[in-house]
Amino acid sequence: MKKDLQPIFYPRSAAVLGAGDAPEKVGFNIFESMVYGGFKGPLYPIHPKLKNILGYDVYPRLDKVPGPVDVAVIALNQFNTVDVIEECARCGVKGIVSVAGGFGEMGAEGVKLEKRLSEKANELGIPLIGPNTLGFINNDGNFYATFYPLRLIKGGVSIISQSGGMGLTIMQKALDEMMGLNKWIGVGNRATLEFYDFLAYLGDDPTTKVIGVFMEGSEEALKFVKLIREICLKKPVVVFKAGRTKESDYLSMTHTGSLAGPYRLYKDILRQCGAIVVDTVEELVACCKALSLSQLPEGKRVGVFTHTAGPSIVAADYMLQLGCELPKYAPETDQKVLDVVGPNPPIVLKNPLDAAGLGFPAIPYGRMADAVLGDPSVDIMLAIYCLHKNWRFPSWEIIDVRNKWNKPAVAYYVSNVGDSAKDREMLQKEGVPLYITAREAARAVYALYEYKQIISSQAKG
Amino acid sequence: MQVKEIFEKIKSGGRKLLFEDEVKRLLALNGVAVTPCEVAHNEDQAVQLAAKFGYPSVLKIHSIAYTHKSDCGGVKLNLPDENAVRTAFREIRAAVADQEPEISVTVQPMAGAGTEVIIGVTTDNHFGKVIMFGLGGVFTEIFEDVTFRLIPITREEAFNMIESVKGNILLKGYRGKPPADRETLVDALLKVSKLAEDNSEIKELDLNPVAVYENGLLVLDGRGTLS
Repeated sequence: MKKDLQPIFYPRSAAVLGAGDAPEKVGFNIFESMVYGGFKGPLYPIHPKLKNILGYDVYPRLDKVPGPVDVAVIALNQFNTVDVIEECARCGVKGIVSVAGGFGEMGAEGVKLEKRLSEKANELGIPLIGPNTLGFINNDGNFYATFYPLRLIKGGVSIISQSGGMGLTIMQKALDEMMGLNKWIGVGNRATLEFYDFLAYLGDDPTTKVIGVFMEGSEEALKFVKLIREICLKKPVVVFKAGRTKESDYLSMTHTGSLAGPYRLYKDILRQCGAIVVDTVEELVACCKALSLSQLPEGKRVGVFTHTAGPSIVAADYMLQLGCELPKYAPETDQKVLDVVGPNPPIVLKNPLDAAGLGFPAIPYGRMADAVLGDPSVDIMLAIYCLHKNWRFPSWEIIDVRNKWNKPAVAYYVSNVGDSAKDREMLQKEGVPLYITAREAARAVYALYEYKQIISSQAKG
Repeated sequence: MQVKEIFEKIKSGGRKLLFEDEVKRLLALNGVAVTPCEVAHNEDQAVQLAAKFGYPSVLKIHSIAYTHKSDCGGVKLNLPDENAVRTAFREIRAAVADQEPEISVTVQPMAGAGTEVIIGVTTDNHFGKVIMFGLGGVFTEIFEDVTFRLIPITREEAFNMIESVKGNILLKGYRGKPPADRETLVDALLKVSKLAEDNSEIKELDLNPVAVYENGLLVLDGRGTLS
């Protein structure tokens, strides 16, 4: 049965039980996170003695709050968390976040306590995220319910993470990559809400365009992959499954109280069910970003255009390993390139096309990129350029070429994060994802083709 | 004997282990080619069966205690005639005389050499029933070059399983060796998937090895467990 998570993700109001005024404490940071995140509805810090936190009136108990409370974030210890659930129900709370540790991940006593927590929440019919979680974020509704105050870029990618720390890694990388995030969920110990509950919600969520998942393992893996089978026809699901080595199984078990499944089994079955499977955060973000921004290619034939050989060789190598093809350009394409650079140029007409020094200025770069993407055997272009103090990036040219041929383009600039920021914003606003490493650019190109394939094969099966 | 009768017989004997002859009967009933395989309880029966199936013959130990048959000297291959069968039978009995002096054997004809693959079924704690495929020998045991799919699988998925192991190169033919019959292998994967899907009793199957030829294949050995 699908659970109604809309009230928890889009609350009209929220309370923090155990809010405090000490910046070193979780209770303060959850509350600050909500304020800093720009939530528009009423916020109620709850504390027995304090009067004011960050300019907000503090209430001694939940039932003293002047208005209805949709979401209660419980920043109390594990024992008090269990005790306060009933009070939440009495006050009409529609969703709970429990951040406390000390439950199922802490041995037999913790397991018992967690059972009490989940039984109570289920009996009262309140969905509960956690325990042992960083919390969750709905960036679409400006609702930041974690104890890491953040401001994220808005966009279509939603993340489900079994680990708070890996979830944070994904968010930080998303900031570097200027990848817009929609929702972020730290699933924690999954006492009442499983992976698939969140996946089902995001699958139906109209503002989520791409779903990214970091997982260690789940006893409910079968339900999870069966859901991916349905959702992948509507939107891409990218999964980073941790735990490749036998030893890491033990680490995962102590981490979230679940035994991570054998890696190869997970990876194969996730793929079988239509997920895009990756091995690192960088790949996860690279794929999610491309899939949320770019149109899909018709096929796997990549036209590579560059003015620097090495990065194009490294990127081509990755793409070929993944399963892309680098077609030979048509004679007309070669002629178009010669029209730009003149007869007998000091370059070899092949794919990757390396214009060398003739590709430094943006205008001829754009005309040659036009020849490459216009080639009838090219489904998608990877355009490579190196950051230079005195020469501008050919971003407008790449966007123009993409618009002219209505085929996807991915940009790979040899640069640092900061000096390519303006161009990243410009390109990505127009649907051209930008990367600064060969590996990420190559993975992104392949992910676009991979999803195209998933749609056609899963629709058949 | 039909599929369900085989399960009934095993369960009524208080067993969970499926013997080689039982696994092969299950497979044969479901259209997967196997080497014929029957149990002999004494030397003369062994000789009769060997003559019935034709020489060269193969004898294997048939016991719940010795599931790794070759480890205890319980597999005798390529036996050319009656004398060799009699000698082999006595050797197998002698090897386990301390434990099971009245041990039975299975008798089957020696099959030709093909590319050896493994097809498995396992019941995973997280995913439930899963089918496994890999190339035989070191590819699976040392390199762990295997692939898994949820049961049931489609024809496309079966083909994709074969494509996704590195050892697949061996099936495509190399150094003058003709390519193996991948169509029949795909069929076998589909049939094993269907067999496991239709019979909740099956917990595990291990078809190892399966010899794939230029035309067709044969399951040479197998075992399994019931849930």
